[in-house]
Parts: sequence; C-alpha cells; structure tokens
Amino acid sequence: MEKLKIASYWASACGGCDVAILDIHEKIVDVANIADIVFWPVATDFKEKDVEGYPDGYIDVTLFHGAIRNSENEHYAQLLRRKSKILVAFGSCAVMGGIPGLANFKKREDILGWVYFESPSTQNKERVLPQTSTPVPEGELTLPSFYEEVKTLGDVVDVDYFMPGCPPAPHQIWAVLQVLASGNLPPKGAVVGASDKALCDECKRVKTEKKVKRFYRTYEIIPDPERCLLEQGIVCMGPVTRGGCGARCTSAHQPCRGCYGPLEGVVDQGAKYISALASIVDANTWEEAQEIIGHIPDPAGTFYRFGLPGSLLRRARNV
Amino acid sequence: MENAGFEPRIIGFLCNWCSYAGADLAGVARLQYPPNVRIIRVMCSGRVDPQFVFKALADGADGVLVAGCHPGDCHYADGNYKTMRRFQLMKKVLAQLGVEEDRVRLEWISAAEGSAFARVIQEFTERLRQLGPFKPGRRLAAGGEG
Amino acid sequence: MRQIVIDPITRLEGHGKISIFLDDTGAVKNVYFQIPELRGFEKFVEGRPSEEVPQIVSRICGV
Repeated sequence: MEKLKIASYWASACGGCDVAILDIHEKIVDVANIADIVFWPVATDFKEKDVEGYPDGYIDVTLFHGAIRNSENEHYAQLLRRKSKILVAFGSCAVMGGIPGLANFKKREDILGWVYFESPSTQNKERVLPQTSTPVPEGELTLPSFYEEVKTLGDVVDVDYFMPGCPPAPHQIWAVLQVLASGNLPPKGAVVGASDKALCDECKRVKTEKKVKRFYRTYEIIPDPERCLLEQGIVCMGPVTRGGCGARCTSAHQPCRGCYGPLEGVVDQGAKYISALASIVDANTWEEAQEIIGHIPDPAGTFYRFGLPGSLLRRARNV
Repeated sequence: MENAGFEPRIIGFLCNWCSYAGADLAGVARLQYPPNVRIIRVMCSGRVDPQFVFKALADGADGVLVAGCHPGDCHYADGNYKTMRRFQLMKKVLAQLGVEEDRVRLEWISAAEGSAFARVIQEFTERLRQLGPFKPGRRLAAGGEG
Repeated sequence: MRQIVIDPITRLEGHGKISIFLDDTGAVKNVYFQIPELRGFEKFVEGRPSEEVPQIVSRICGV
C-alpha cells in the first residue's frame, strides 16, 4: 500500500496541538511507517513553495491547528484545503476559535493600540504600526493584515472533520489517525476524537443534588476532592461540554472550561450553559438570584472561554 | 431622526398558559399595538433556552421578548422561576457581548392582561426604534477582512 | 537586486519570515526578520478573573 501523505499546520495557535501529536510517544514511529509527512513547520523544513508545488489533492490528511486571525492564516487555510483530500480542524482554535478567540471581546484597534503604543514595556515614539507593505531601500517587505475579528477554520474553508480539545487528548489523536489511515471514514462534518456524552459522564466526582446558594472563585474554596465541583459552587462547564478528554481538569480539581466544545445537539455552548447554570441557582426571588449570580465574575469570558468566534453572536459589539 | 423609517423586528416567546392567552385577549379586545412582534408560542417561559434568544439576535431580530405567567402562577409550578434566573444571567452575558440592555425584555403577563401585552409591545417597539437596528457579527465569506 | 525569502521559518514555535536581499555580485546586502503573527494576549486577558489568567496565558506557547 502506498504511504499516506500527511501535513500539520498551525495558524493562530500556540503549538500545543503539535506537541500533543508527539505525545502519542513511540506510536509516532507507527505513524511514520504508514505515512510520510509532507508539511509540518514545527518539525520539518518544507516551505510554502513546496506546498504550492504539490498537485491539488496531493495531501491525504491535513491537521490544521489554530484560529484565523490574519490574512496569512486564511491564505494557508485555502492553500491546504486545495492541496488536501481531508482537512481536519484540529484543536479548539481551529474548531471554534480557542483562546485566541477571546480577542473577539476586544476591538482590533484596541489590541493594536495596547500592544504597540500603550503597554508599559513599549517604546514607540514614532507610533509605528505593522504595515501590510513596507518599502525598504532594497525593495519591499510584506506582512499579513490583522483582521477585525478572529474566525474559525470552518468560517473560511470547507472542513471535513472537527477534532476539539485544547489540546486534543493523545489517545484520541492516535485513535483518529488510525481511523483516517483505515479509509473507513466517518460522515463528512463529523466531530471526531470526542465523546457524544457530556464531560460529567466521564468525570469521576460524586454527583448528588445540584442546588447552589453561593458561587466561589477557585481561590476562595478548597473543594471536597470527591464531590462534583459545580455542586460545591465552582463554575464548571462539564454539563454542556463534550467528553472524550478523560476529564483531565476535574481530576486535577480544576473546573472544566469547555475546550471540547458544545455537546452533541447544542449550537451555542455559552448560551446553553446559562440555561444549565441558572437552573441550579437556589433562589426564588429576583433579589436573591441577583445576589447569587453576582458572585460569578466574567460569565461571558468563562462560558465562551474557548468558543466565542464559533458561537452564535461571534464577538462583542461596541465594547 | 437617525432611525427614521426603521421598523424593529421583535421575536416574542410567549408561554402557552398566560402570556399567549394575554396576547390573544389583546386581539379579541381590539387593542391597538404595533405590528412589530412575531410571536412564538412555547409551553412555558422556562422552555426558552437562552440559545433561542441568541439565535434570534444572530438571525436578524432587533429585540427579543420573553413573557410568562406571574411568579406563583406557573402551570408547571416553577418554570417561570427558572426563567427569571436564566434571564438575569443571560443579561450579564449579553452585556459583556455589547448587546444593549433594553434589547431583551422579560415580562410577566397573565391571560387577563391583554392591555399589559399591548402596552409592552408599544413600549418595546419605541425603545428599539431609538436603539436602531441590531447588527450581529456576520459569518463572512472567505476573503473578507472580517 | 535579488531577494531570497525564507517562509515559514521552521522547527521552532511560532511564525517567522526572513527576507535576504543580494546585490548584483550575489553578496548579502541586507537581511530582514519579520514576525507575521499577533494574537494580543496582553489585551484580551483584561476583564478575565486573575485566577484564570495562568491557564489562559499558558496558550501563548504550548511547545
């Protein structure tokens, strides 16, 4: 059998997804037995021109990490879409915006203003901002344009499969690579490498009755190590988040922040969580509810920690 | 006036047992109110998932009304208490997302309060006319500058 | 003048681009190094609870 050709690319990302691929440890040797890597900036030396030289559809599988923050990200998304038979949105950023998507709470000019003018460690008397084109004595230098908002991979190109997680769990990566190599493919558009059940289903903490009189920030309470964090008043996104990660955070006494994305059938993870969380608030008067809910700092930034660009409203307006 | 000629679109989620009957009464009693509301009947205001509200705003509504039975009157005992709590949390999230406070409204309207329904729609339409159209972030086609 | 562009710079975390300009004899005239990426963590952690920031900024670099 001819070897598969695989590519891995990062757009607006941190490289954690690439490291997660390496976290399959010695099985990476098995991957090398069945597949050739034809583009992987973190680990190999292929250039953009090499990819451009490939015939369309030459790459069997591209694992695309990272959000679409600038025109270069979008350019690579389109290039790799054209060159790939299967394009996988790999990791929370590509699937729904991820942590870089938190920038959709801010305006483009405010981000640039802070980074290039206002931050205390910046010295920029001439108020120079990056330009898409800069003439220099020897010729011209170019940079990508910084978009108004962060987008998901699916916003700019057609995506075959979505694999959530920040980063995806290595055992899931290995399972998905085996499925892709087998040729026995799931239906287009499927979420792969994740469970159809909520995180709570695989979280080992004991769940009894959910009625919350007070919410706590993580530093305000030492949680009972056995009991459900949400029942103890710690905001945990488990009820609306897909499982499949192995409940890594809740096992370490940290609440879930939703990186595996919305549960099957849920369109908007944050909006669904409003519903779930408010339901367990133990208050029947407006004032009492207001007091309890007032103890949740930054609800939008928590409920949309990983998925603001992929949500229904996509971004904050006029703020 | 900046928003002259602007006709706001309101999506109204009304509970089957009280508010929908209240809206019906407004019609039967021939009360005048602006035709800007599109009503969706739900069995209980507690059925209104915040996703419905977000979806309405994302798909072109300028305002969303959620209306149910007065506290204590819920046909299902406590559905409207859930609505009340969800609505508070939803408003906090919407505020962080830059959605003006007055674009979503919660009202308790009983089956006998046709006049209250007409008044709410009147007030809400006027307020939204002042606020102007809601512009959700559009899913842009590839190549756009986002 | 001839220009050699190395893009992307590989086998490191992050995005980088090098433009090398050569004169008529093929000698290096000038070299420019550019970072074509920005996410703006400095700005978007504003408004997030302080106890959440360590988990957010750990996504600056995951390598």
